[in-house]
Amino acid sequence: MTTPRLIAERRQLGRRLLLSAPAMLTLLVFMLLPLGIMFVVSILQSGDYGGVKWGEYSFEAYRNFFYERDLDDTLVFNTDYLEIFQRSFWLSILTTAGCLLIGFPTALYLALQTERKRNLLLFLVTVPFWTNLLVRAYAWMLLLRNGGLVDEGLQGLGITDTGLGLLYTNNAVIIGLLYTYLPFMVLPIYTSLEKMDWRLVEAAFDLGANRFHALKRIIVPLAMPGIVAGSILVFIPSLGNYIIPELLGGGKTLMIGNLIQLQFGSSHNWPLGAALSFALLSFVLLAMLVYSVRFKPGNAGGHP
Amino acid sequence: MGTSSSEGTCSAISIEQLSMEFGDPGQGVKALDTVSLEIQSNEFFTLLGPSGCGKTTLLRLIAGFEQPSAGTIRLYGEPMQDLPPFRRPVNTVFQSYALFPHMTVAQNIAFGLEMRGLSKSEIGETVTRMLELVKLPDVGGRRADQLSGGQQQRIALARALANRPKVLLLDESLSALDQKLRKDMQIELKRLQSDTGITFIFVTHDQEEALTMSDRIAVMSKGRVLQVGTPTEIYEAPVNRTVADFIGETNFLAAEAVADGVLLSDGQRLSVAGDRRGAVTVAIRPERVSLAADGQLLGKVENVVYVGTDTVYHLNVAGEGGFRVRQQNRDGALSGYRVGDSVRVHVPSAAIKVLVE
Amino acid sequence: MNTHNPLWRFAGMRPAAWFFFIFLYLPIVVLVVLSFNGGQSATLWGGFSLKWYSVVANDAEVVRAAKNSLIVATLATLISTSLATLAALGMRGRAFRGQTLMSGVLGLPLLVPEIVTAVSTLMFFSFINLKLSLFTILIAHVVFCIPFAYLPIRARLEGMNPYLLEAAADLYASPWKAFWKVTFPLLSPGIISGAMLAFIISMDDFVITYFVAGAGATTLPVYIFSSIRMGISPKINAISSIILVISIAFVALSYYVGQRKR
Repeated sequence: MTTPRLIAERRQLGRRLLLSAPAMLTLLVFMLLPLGIMFVVSILQSGDYGGVKWGEYSFEAYRNFFYERDLDDTLVFNTDYLEIFQRSFWLSILTTAGCLLIGFPTALYLALQTERKRNLLLFLVTVPFWTNLLVRAYAWMLLLRNGGLVDEGLQGLGITDTGLGLLYTNNAVIIGLLYTYLPFMVLPIYTSLEKMDWRLVEAAFDLGANRFHALKRIIVPLAMPGIVAGSILVFIPSLGNYIIPELLGGGKTLMIGNLIQLQFGSSHNWPLGAALSFALLSFVLLAMLVYSVRFKPGNAGGHP
Repeated sequence: MGTSSSEGTCSAISIEQLSMEFGDPGQGVKALDTVSLEIQSNEFFTLLGPSGCGKTTLLRLIAGFEQPSAGTIRLYGEPMQDLPPFRRPVNTVFQSYALFPHMTVAQNIAFGLEMRGLSKSEIGETVTRMLELVKLPDVGGRRADQLSGGQQQRIALARALANRPKVLLLDESLSALDQKLRKDMQIELKRLQSDTGITFIFVTHDQEEALTMSDRIAVMSKGRVLQVGTPTEIYEAPVNRTVADFIGETNFLAAEAVADGVLLSDGQRLSVAGDRRGAVTVAIRPERVSLAADGQLLGKVENVVYVGTDTVYHLNVAGEGGFRVRQQNRDGALSGYRVGDSVRVHVPSAAIKVLVE
Repeated sequence: MNTHNPLWRFAGMRPAAWFFFIFLYLPIVVLVVLSFNGGQSATLWGGFSLKWYSVVANDAEVVRAAKNSLIVATLATLISTSLATLAALGMRGRAFRGQTLMSGVLGLPLLVPEIVTAVSTLMFFSFINLKLSLFTILIAHVVFCIPFAYLPIRARLEGMNPYLLEAAADLYASPWKAFWKVTFPLLSPGIISGAMLAFIISMDDFVITYFVAGAGATTLPVYIFSSIRMGISPKINAISSIILVISIAFVALSYYVGQRKR
């Protein structure tokens, strides 16, 4: 049965789909399809001189995560890649913890400012996001290198007397990741604090809570969606970061991102690179799925 | 079909069997359920009902913003269904006013005229006249969001009236105004309607507003029209309990209709003419009855509420509480009745409405 | 919120905020200051001079890379903003089946790690035998610019009173006229800020460009990366400062436009 109403609705839906079509098609062809191809490559045999052997399927690439094929074709347990995974997770966890430690009080500070000052500070928080990360990582090289400004400053203050040799270490990578992702922690926490009803905190004070208790029992629980969102926004991209370990880790402190890049560079192992990328992507999507199920949008301020 | 267009010389809008269903046919939510209405030319017609009753949906169907699932709408005999809103000779005053925020007041008023391709001089003249009509001759150059709520409302009215529509649709147009402004605008709208001679269809959930302004009212509930009539008809002779309950204050008593009246649950008898039999509901307006020693209805005072002009007595009648009697305070003092007193209520037989429901 | 009320002074809040802002801006300030260094070293101060800027301006390779960056960013901005505007208009209105999925796809480039996008795009181009060039860079940039252009436009549309369009139709404006007279003027701040974001993101991108750039199709960030690999130098300081200042100017401008149009 067709009513005038259904015909009108259908016509309008058609028009809306037509408007969305160019962008959707672009993303389907140049984003989703490549991801599909990447998955296929991950289950192909690696070519002898780079590239892949089309039509020859194998799970060799995924096996490569843990095992290495010896000269006589036996599988030998290999911890090289595991170490890189472990380091990636560990550095990302430390980065997330550091971001939380600095980011939460900063967000609280922002939320408590007058509107004028708050807008300016928020703008300052977002500016680095729009500037070139490569360039900012380079700036850290200037600061951290032997005899760089951090060394000079500390020696000038009499805290140290020799160079620290910070650059090209895990510490340099953590500093770089922290620097890159701090705003990603501050903004979501600020957003949930800004929406918060501060009279609740006043009620807590009224009921005899001191500042610490008000923070622990009222503010932190209410800011929890922001804290979780911020942690995901920091943890996930630092796991796959390429630039920071490349520049500040100096190729010694490899993370997953660098390992993937290597497969398309000197190692010429596309299936392994594709498999690593696919694993990383699956992890990201899984994390987002868990997040969206547990923290449905629109229930900000709710409990986890 | 076709009868209304040939005979109905002054029927501005005739609506036949109009239904509207959201979702799939047969299983969606019915916003309108086979509604038929005739609205006369030059009439101030009000659609009255609680929120969700379908009154705004009906208005939007007339304007053309929504398409019906079934039924027809005719404007002076012309079927409207194939015309998009921008080809219908009707204009709307939106609830939120919907003034264009990036244009001045004058540009807002001129918009419809420009779209119809009127000449610049004609447009300028009309804009000036409209601003005078709504008594805001000096705000033409200002931006819409610099005006107060009451002023925005007048501009929205001017913008719609500038096009001299055959029918003007007003969607809860006064609900955002405060009490005082609202009373003024009620009078002003009525004046504008008689000055311009345009048919007004006014949507509201405020029964007092509807009674004050309308020539005729359609009371709606759950997608249906329950009753159409003048304010007096609607108030004095509601067709069922829902209408009686929605318009003004009403006491309802469960009763059984017998040969010469009705029997209440405790055996009290009220005499009233009528040939109904069986279970009925008796509706009695609180201001139509009075406390009197010779009254025929017995009750017990539960509460006495002084409201300035009146005193309202809440009585327990026939075992049910909350029967209200509204007495005017003509002598400026409380009468002697106290909570717990047994009293008698005088009920003129004209004040008794027997409803089958 | 009264900030002077001691009730709201939580311990450690102010020092953390200070640390945060110093940490965030110290490297940028140091870099820009060192770019005016007259000496031969990248970090040892040798007096104020604009010498490295003139070296950069006269370096044919840098100029070519900058030109490439500008061409790609301009085209990517135009294309992605047009696609995003159309999509935002299509996504407006009553939700339909599959709309959530479609918004998900529009936001996908923000979700997928950059390195994954980079290598999958590279494999895709290799699969369809498309030679890497400025053109492949452009395609990749259009893709990841779409969500950046889309989000502000969509937000602007969502904040728009839906009755305005009905009012326009009620006042005899056809859908086409209603779009140009009502929707577009009200939407334009969103389109401008979306386009600006797309431009900055395209100008700044390194990881994806690095993978899909063919020989000779070097953009500025790719050039900077290969220079850094050969060691830090005062010349890189100067190029980097130029890029930083351009980005910051752009963001400040878009912030200013947004504030004014409020």
